[in-house]
Amino acid sequence: MNFTLSWLREFVDFRGSAQGLARTLTMAGLEVESSRPLPSMQEGQEDWVMEVAVTPNRGDCLGILGVAREVAALTGGHLRLPPALPAARSSGIDRLVDVRILSPDLCPRYSARMVLGVRVAGAPDWMKRRLEACGIRSINNVVDVTNYVMLETGQPLHAFDADRLPTKRIVVRQAGEIQKLTTLDGVERALVPGDLLICDGAAPIALAGVMGGSDSEVQWDTHAVLLESAHFDPACIRRTAKRLAIHSEASHRFERGVDPQGTLYALGRAALLLAEVAGAAPVKGVVDRYSRRAKPAPIVLREKKVSALLGVELPRRRTEHILTALGMKVQGRSKTAVRVIPPSYRSDLTREEDLIEEIARLTGYENIPSRLPLVRPAGGGSNHRPARERKLRAFLLGEGLTEMINLPFTSAEMNRRFRGLWGDKRSPVAIVNPLGQDRTELRLSLIPGLLDNLRTNLAQKARSFHCFDFAKVFALDARGAAEEKQQVAGLLYGARERKGLRWKDETPPTFLEVKGIIEGIFEVLGIGPEPAWSNSGVGSFLHPAKAAVIRLENRDVGYLGEIQPDFCEAAELEPFQVFELDFEALAEYAPRQLTARPLPRFPAVARDLAVVVDDAFPAQRIVRWMKDLNHALVEGVEVFDQYRGSPIPEGKKSLAYTISYRAEDRTLTDSEVNQLHQQLAARVAELFGAQLRM
Amino acid sequence: MRESLDTLRNEFLARIVDGASEQEVQRLRVEFLGRKGKLTLMFHRLKEVPPEERPGLGEALNELRGFVEGKLELRLTELKRREKERLLQAERVDITLPGSRWERGRVHPLTLVMDEITDVFVAMGFELARGPDIEDDYHNFEALNMPPDHPARDMQDTFFVSAARVLRTHTSPVQIRVMETRKPPLQVIAPGAVYRHDDDATHSPMFHQVEGFMVDSQIAFSDLKGVLTHFLRRVFRPETGVRFRPSFFPFTEPSAEVDIQCFLCDGKGMVQGQQACRVCKGTGWLEILGAGMIDPEVFRFVGYDAERVSGFAFGMGVERIAMLKYGIEDIRLFFQNELRFLRQFA
Repeated sequence: MNFTLSWLREFVDFRGSAQGLARTLTMAGLEVESSRPLPSMQEGQEDWVMEVAVTPNRGDCLGILGVAREVAALTGGHLRLPPALPAARSSGIDRLVDVRILSPDLCPRYSARMVLGVRVAGAPDWMKRRLEACGIRSINNVVDVTNYVMLETGQPLHAFDADRLPTKRIVVRQAGEIQKLTTLDGVERALVPGDLLICDGAAPIALAGVMGGSDSEVQWDTHAVLLESAHFDPACIRRTAKRLAIHSEASHRFERGVDPQGTLYALGRAALLLAEVAGAAPVKGVVDRYSRRAKPAPIVLREKKVSALLGVELPRRRTEHILTALGMKVQGRSKTAVRVIPPSYRSDLTREEDLIEEIARLTGYENIPSRLPLVRPAGGGSNHRPARERKLRAFLLGEGLTEMINLPFTSAEMNRRFRGLWGDKRSPVAIVNPLGQDRTELRLSLIPGLLDNLRTNLAQKARSFHCFDFAKVFALDARGAAEEKQQVAGLLYGARERKGLRWKDETPPTFLEVKGIIEGIFEVLGIGPEPAWSNSGVGSFLHPAKAAVIRLENRDVGYLGEIQPDFCEAAELEPFQVFELDFEALAEYAPRQLTARPLPRFPAVARDLAVVVDDAFPAQRIVRWMKDLNHALVEGVEVFDQYRGSPIPEGKKSLAYTISYRAEDRTLTDSEVNQLHQQLAARVAELFGAQLRM
Repeated sequence: MRESLDTLRNEFLARIVDGASEQEVQRLRVEFLGRKGKLTLMFHRLKEVPPEERPGLGEALNELRGFVEGKLELRLTELKRREKERLLQAERVDITLPGSRWERGRVHPLTLVMDEITDVFVAMGFELARGPDIEDDYHNFEALNMPPDHPARDMQDTFFVSAARVLRTHTSPVQIRVMETRKPPLQVIAPGAVYRHDDDATHSPMFHQVEGFMVDSQIAFSDLKGVLTHFLRRVFRPETGVRFRPSFFPFTEPSAEVDIQCFLCDGKGMVQGQQACRVCKGTGWLEILGAGMIDPEVFRFVGYDAERVSGFAFGMGVERIAMLKYGIEDIRLFFQNELRFLRQFA
């Protein structure tokens, strides 16, 4: 909310500069976001426009009067109300207008006055200047007066052209089933039950607390004006304003709570100003329907609660002084507590804690001491997860992959192509109010984001691009419940970059190098069971022969492989590799308990085994078989070479294994090892149809 | 004969100068010590001198031979040393060439800052917690004292995935989830992604927050001040000015906005005398945290007795802290993920 300094000074006396005031208000919770000098009419008379960010709980400060009350409480300055024209006790107005409230819960109070003989014209310059400084466009003297008084008191007023109200019977009620109203801005609004209406007889003339109707608007020929000053239910106003996307000065204030006791002063102030600037003659008397009288409930404030919550002992005298300075009435006292009644304009004060905040605010947060609390750790089970997440990141960084952080939004098309690890029974999460057509769903996979990152960086002439993303993916299960999983995905495009002199043969990573990264991840996370690598179930966006699904105890936990060549061709990209792993699944495996083994006392003997097998033969089968033998003297077995071409026949390949033999209790003799090795070789040849190469 | 000894010594010394090569040294050895060498011949001539002079002269001859042998040996060693040195010098590398190494991967600056923030709290004894990104209305709003139709909901433009489920607009629902399942004492830090329906140079539809809270039997506002002041001085400079001022959040009471002194203008609001500081917009202060004492309504929702426990909570925007720390002016840089940007961070 904006106000000018000179205007504020009409309500309260205070010394000091605009900057000083800005600081005082900011440190008391009314943050002054800007203050700028206003070019004044008279030379040498400076004025300032202050912009205050009013928090939603402080509806009372959406009028200068409220700000003035704060200034008075903070500085001890004298508060005064500008003059108003009180309504004389008279039933004069009752002959002209009748008011009935059919929804007293939504409209606890409706006050109205009538002025006659209005000459509608432009408002005087001083009024226009103040309105404009506060961001309100000048319309005409009548409308301007209602806005001027609203800025002063926080009480929204509405002016109806009384001659355009045929029945002059004001009815406040909820909208019926099918009803329409054209508002001041010329838009025809469809109303729904629950909207609160001001009607003339049966005809709606205003959306209560939100916007007036165009039919009863004050115009250049308006002669008689009915001034409305009412109190409406905040939630009701908010629902209507929100549904119709109308954010008016009035609705903004009603949503945040207006002083129910302030309707009559605002009317009197407006009547006086209308007489001044529009030559109006107020009709005697006022209509005031106030069926639900607001009665602020007393609040008990205990001394010990103040010190417990703030961490500082404040003298009773001081706290009571603060409360009374803020307009509270002390209703009773005991040795340890005081009971107060908050003023009607502070609907936000209903509890002890609210009063303690007021005490802290006026004491000044800077005057509350600072201390470090005793932290009592909760104990209990250890959480490996944060440490493992950091290990995972550190490992991938070491492998040369740079971390990406992507927005989780993607298109339905991308979700169709990249389903991640969700299987067929999950569907994407759609955003009800997306920011754009290409961001209508939450991602099923991290790959689309990485593809975007690849494109961005290639457009910037990156020679290669190795990256990973460690973030959540989302899906709905068959019953429509949302699921989210933390995943890690990587993309490796082009040869890994080097610093320094160029190498001659820089080549992009192969499938096996990416598999190496995955194995490394399993290693740093200390996953006990060994993963299985399978060709079946590989996603259609991957190369059918250069990709694998990763299984852990018969469950798919990830995949890796080269992107489908057609995709690369269409996108004019070189072949590249991706992987995606379900971190949630990996996290279920507690890190393997490590036990160090003593170093072996006797030497190992290594023997190589080379076999010729069918081209499609998986090398791992022989390793697996040998491990499953659990032979006491076979310490380990590894594939170390694969060869195709002369002299190996077409359709065959040569695989070379190295087997390490060791006994725990002695040095093995050559003949012993040779004999065992020959036995094993013969078994391999027999079992796998392999031809031994010697 | 003694005179010829001296002549021979001088001749040898003159011949074995510094420049003598290995070949010359070998030639000298033959010339002086060989079978027909000059010194060898002198030994032969010993017979010709009178017997009483022989011992003295013999001693002098032996001395000269020792001298010549020593000199020759020294020269050879020196020559070998020089040769080795020459060979080593031939292997010289250009130490000004660039170091050769793989390009490292870079951690995203937001992760960097998020880890830095959580580390300070973890060192103070806080534990890490997380919650879902897709939240229900209850945890994101209602249990945080934001009933439907509350104007505070306007402060947070929300993405909906259904009528009752949203992308969490803040990390505060983690407070509720932890308190629902555990009893005090609690000191928890909860970093994570949050979402708001907003997209411009200073707002991203997704950004990150770190939420923290502490609940125990005697936690007061002064503890909140102590913990957050300590934190800010760790993450920024140890002498950073910190200020707490009243604010409003539906889930805390009293509530505070926490500012740090602007590090560009040192809190003066002006740079170079007259220009308003662009970082703090001339105020001298930077808003960095929202905080407050947990509202009793929130305790009521999670079944805690506000008469027996109290606590504070706070939340901060990771992007904002990163932008201030590194002088980044456009939030979108974080999510464009250009290597040119990311490689600026260690």
